[in-house]
Amino acid sequence: MVMKNPDVEFCGYSITHPSESKINFRIQTRGGLPAVEPFRKGLNDLTEVCQYVLDTFEARVKEFSDREAAMD
Amino acid sequence: MAAPMRNVDEIRNRVILGEFGVKNVHSTDFPGNYPEYDDTWNQKKFQKNFRIDIIQMDENSMEFDMVGIDAAIANAFRRILLAEVPTMAVEKVFIYNNTSIIQDEILAHRLGLIPIKADPRLFEYRNADDEEGTEIDTIQLQLKVKCTRNPRASKDSSDPSELYINHMVYSRDMKWVPIGNQADVFGEAGIAPVHGDILLAQLRPGQELDIVMHCVKGIGKDHAKFSPVATASYRLLPEITLLQPVKGEMAERLKRCFSPGVIELESIEGTPVAKVVNSRLDTCSREVLRHDDLKNLVKLGRVRDHFIFSVESTGILAPDILVSEAIKVLMAKCRKFLNELDSVEME
Repeated sequence: MVMKNPDVEFCGYSITHPSESKINFRIQTRGGLPAVEPFRKGLNDLTEVCQYVLDTFEARVKEFSDREAAMD
Repeated sequence: MAAPMRNVDEIRNRVILGEFGVKNVHSTDFPGNYPEYDDTWNQKKFQKNFRIDIIQMDENSMEFDMVGIDAAIANAFRRILLAEVPTMAVEKVFIYNNTSIIQDEILAHRLGLIPIKADPRLFEYRNADDEEGTEIDTIQLQLKVKCTRNPRASKDSSDPSELYINHMVYSRDMKWVPIGNQADVFGEAGIAPVHGDILLAQLRPGQELDIVMHCVKGIGKDHAKFSPVATASYRLLPEITLLQPVKGEMAERLKRCFSPGVIELESIEGTPVAKVVNSRLDTCSREVLRHDDLKNLVKLGRVRDHFIFSVESTGILAPDILVSEAIKVLMAKCRKFLNELDSVEME
């Protein structure tokens, strides 16, 4: 998500030690922009995507079960 | 100009299955990589391309397609389904009497793995230091079985089900003990294991089990007994392209190289010609690449953003509810991060 932002020059993560659940997440922007911005935008975009996927999925499930009920 | 463009499209959209390896596995469509394409994230473009098709759904398993989404997000849904959707399972086992041949810890382990049909959304997580458990976070179950000799058995029978009473302990013997207001909330149906015919232990006359169990809410990351799916997996849609028309005996052999139903032979001017009918059924075994004369006639690949999900539930929640819950878990995580970001910026 963050990689899809054209202002981001570098984005990556690494796991410091497999036993502790900690992730080092690095975002580097192309000059000017504070790095928190693409992070925030990425999270917001991901939330939007999830919401849309959820709505589409539930609509299709309802459609499928209505179709099944109609056929029986 | 058409041929190179097609090449670029292929790199962007297809995973190629070669003879010795799989190519183009990673998605490369990020802004700046391809000069003619604008890959900046665009919600409207995503919504236009995205679709979900439900292929099959019944009360325990479902198969559906998700098209137009990136692999990272599809994988996130799969991982959340396996490890982060909460369920209720037996956590604390108080063994008051166990004279059976099954050791205490083995029996406790088996009890923990039994799926309990209780909607985890109606419960809360237990606090770390809470020993007793309240009605909002604990379900209490009891197992009390004693095996006795059957006085009415005939003298010379050797069948255990005739000689002994209660010699097999099944999960249906686990009885729910309502705490607090649970009797009103769950009332009629009550709480019980999903399947009543799971064999827990075998007893002989004189042996008995007297066990009280506390179930709590947990996630699969903590212990696999909390995982709500039997399994959840996805595969990419296979794509088979015939580079040249294949006729006759070679067509027959080509048909046998793939799973049944993928390639059909249709008769054109008397000779059978191979045609790809349903590439979805293929298991991508790449058998055709083992035959030297057939391997240059086909191109095997997978469509990179078409995911065929298969979710099989253990019976606690219906599979469509599980997928919805998984998506909500991901949204909650994003929201938690955003809140953290905002609270750090305040300081």
